[in-house]
Amino acid sequence: MALVAGPGIGGSRSSAGTLPAELTLVIDKHVKYIQGLDSRKDELDYWLTEHLRLNGVYWGLTALHLLGHPDALPRDKTLEFVLACQNQDGGFGAAPGHDSHMLYTGSAVQILATIDALTDLEVSQTGGKERIARYIAGLQDPTTGTFAGDEWGETDTRFLYIAFNALSILDMMHLVNVESAVSYIQACANFDGGFGRAPSAETHAGQIFTCLGALSIVRRLDLVDAERLGAWLSDRQLSNGGLNGRPEKLVDVCYSWWVLSSLAMLGKLHWIDAAKLITFILSCQDSEHGGISDMPGDMVDVFHTVFGVAGLSLLGYPGLVEVDPVYCMPKKITQALPYHQA
Amino acid sequence: MTSHGVPRSATREERTIEARQRELKEISEYQRLVEEVNTKVHAKESTPQLLQQTAELLRRNPEYYTVWNHRRRIYVHEFRDLEKQVSASELDEDRRVSQVLDIIQLDLQFLFPLLLKFPKCYWIWNHRLWLLQQATALLPVAQARPLWEEELGLVGKMLSRDSRNFHGWGYRRIVVQSLESLRLQGQSMSRQELEYTKKMIGINLSNFSAWHNRTKLILKILDEENATDDERQKMLDEELELIHQALFDPYDQSLWFYHQNLMCTFDLDLAAKSMAPHLSTEQRLSYIASERRYIEEVLEDAQDCKWPYQALIECTLLEAKMQQGLQEDGRTKILQWLTELKTLDPLRKGRWLDMERSLVKAAA
Repeated sequence: MALVAGPGIGGSRSSAGTLPAELTLVIDKHVKYIQGLDSRKDELDYWLTEHLRLNGVYWGLTALHLLGHPDALPRDKTLEFVLACQNQDGGFGAAPGHDSHMLYTGSAVQILATIDALTDLEVSQTGGKERIARYIAGLQDPTTGTFAGDEWGETDTRFLYIAFNALSILDMMHLVNVESAVSYIQACANFDGGFGRAPSAETHAGQIFTCLGALSIVRRLDLVDAERLGAWLSDRQLSNGGLNGRPEKLVDVCYSWWVLSSLAMLGKLHWIDAAKLITFILSCQDSEHGGISDMPGDMVDVFHTVFGVAGLSLLGYPGLVEVDPVYCMPKKITQALPYHQA
Repeated sequence: MTSHGVPRSATREERTIEARQRELKEISEYQRLVEEVNTKVHAKESTPQLLQQTAELLRRNPEYYTVWNHRRRIYVHEFRDLEKQVSASELDEDRRVSQVLDIIQLDLQFLFPLLLKFPKCYWIWNHRLWLLQQATALLPVAQARPLWEEELGLVGKMLSRDSRNFHGWGYRRIVVQSLESLRLQGQSMSRQELEYTKKMIGINLSNFSAWHNRTKLILKILDEENATDDERQKMLDEELELIHQALFDPYDQSLWFYHQNLMCTFDLDLAAKSMAPHLSTEQRLSYIASERRYIEEVLEDAQDCKWPYQALIECTLLEAKMQQGLQEDGRTKILQWLTELKTLDPLRKGRWLDMERSLVKAAA
C-alpha cells in the first residue's frame, strides 16, 4: 500500500490545447487524480518510479492539504507506509527495502508532521524522533558544515536544507553545528546574490530556495542581499507568465515554487506579475483528469501538481489553504511546531 | 526527476489491448528482475551474475539508487578481497592494480551510454565519481591519472551536447579539482579552463553557465598567480572588452548578468571580493563613466530593451555611493528611466514602484 505513485504521469490529449478562456482551478479533479495514483499498478511507470514513492506521498498529501482535503488519504495507511520505509539506521528509504537517504528521510518527517503523527512515533518506538534526528545529524560533514545525502557522501545544499527542515520539525536542531552550516551556505553565494549547490557552482532557483529556506529556519536571512537576489528572482518571469530557473532557460511550473517561495521569504512576492503566473499555472492543468504538468500540454505528474498548487496558494488563489514558503507545508502546521514557539 | 517536456499523449484508457498486455508483460519481467536482485543481495551474494543483473536493472531504471549502492558494495568487497590476497602473498601488487583498473574501467564503460541517455540522472554522475575516487585511492598515479583525464574529455562531450547541463558543469569542476590535486601530481588548470569557457561562449553567447564559471576562474587565476594590482586591472579591462563585444545582442540577460558582475568591482560594498579590489575612487568613477557611455550607445539602437535602463540606474547608484549620496540630477534621471521600465517591463512593475518610492522617500 503506497497511497501515491510517484510521479503518476498522466493526462489526456483532449484537454491540451483547448483551454477555456476563463481558467479556474479544478480542485475536485486534482483530489481525485491524487487519490487514484495508487490504483495504477498496471502501468510500467508505477514500478519504474518506486524510488520516488515516499516523496510522492509527501507531494500528494501536501497538495491535498493545500486543496482543503486533508482527509482524502487514509491516515492509518499513510502512517503504516511511512514507518515501513524506515531502516535500522533510523533513516528512511524511498519505499520498503530501499536504502536510507536524506531525500526520503525529509519527506517522512514532513508527512509525519502533516498527519500529526510525531506523537504516535514516540509511542510506537521510544526515542523515535531522536533516532531519526541522529541519522540526519550524522550526515553533517564536520569540516565543511554541509550535509551528505547518504553514506556514499554526495553533498548538495539540498541536503543541508532538508536537514534543517526535518530537524526543526523534530525540534532537534541542537544536534548539529548550525554555525558551520551557515558559513557553508555563504560560501555557495554568487555575485548575482544567488546560491549554487556547492561553492563555485552556478546560481539556480532550486538551490536558492534551499539556501534561503535553511537560513530562514535558523533566522539568518540578514546574510542575504535581498535587493540583488530579489531582482535576479523576479527576472525569472517570462512573457507567458511562467518562471524559469536560470537565465535564458525554459519556464516550468515547478519554478513557480522555487522562485516564488524565495521571493516570499525575501518579502518581494509583488516583484512579479501574480495574475500572469496564475494563468500560466492554470493553463498547465489537465482540466479533465486532474493533475498539473511542467508546461501547457505536457504530461501531468504529482510533483508538478503540488508545486503548482503551492504556488497558487502563495499567490493567494481563493479557496486554498495557506502554505509556508519555508517548508512547503500548510502554514498552520509549521506555525504550531515547538521549534518556532521558542 | 519527474516528467519534464513529455507531451500529453494517450492515457491508459486509450491504450489498445495489445499495448496493455505488452506493458503487463514488461512489468512482470521487471518485477522478476528486481526480486532476483533483492534476494541475492539479502543472501549477501557477491557473484558476477548478480553484478550482471544489477547492470540489467540499472539499464532499465537508472534512478533505482539502492541498486547503485548494491553495486558499490560488491566492488568494495572485491577491492578488499584483492588487498587481502596481496597481504597474504597470494597475489602480487601488479596483478591487484590491473584487476582493480579493469573493474573500474569496465564500469565506466557501462555507464557512458546510460549517461548519454539520462544526462540529468544524479545517481549516474554520482556512481562515476565514486569509481574515479576509488581509482585515486587504490591505484598508483600512473594508472589513476589517465582515467581522470579521459573523464575531462567525457564531460566536454556531455557539455557540447547540452551546454547548460547543471550536472555537467559541477562535475567538470570536480574533475578539474582532482586533476589539479597533489595526489594526482597535478598543477593548476585555471588558464586552460578559462579558455574553455571562452570557447563555449563563442559557440553560444547566451551560455550563462560558461560566463558564471569565468567569474570563478578569474578570481582563482589572479590569486594563484599572485597578480599585482596592474595585472588585475588588465584582466578587468579585457573582460569589459569581451562583454562589450558580446552585447551586440542587448536582449540577452545572460550578458547583462555578466556585465553586472564586472560592475561589482566598482561597488564599494562588494569590491573587496572582486577581481580588482584596490582601485582608487577616481579610477572607479572613471570606469563607471565609460560604462555609462557604452550603455547609452547600446540604448540608442535598442530603445525598447529594458536591460540598458537597468544598467544605467545601477551606474548612477554606484556613483552616488562614492559621492555624497544621490544628487537631484541623478534622482531625476533614475525616475525617468523607471518610467520607461514600468512601460517596457510591466511584469516587474512592483519592483520599479518600490524603487521609485524609496527614491522619493530618500529625497523627502
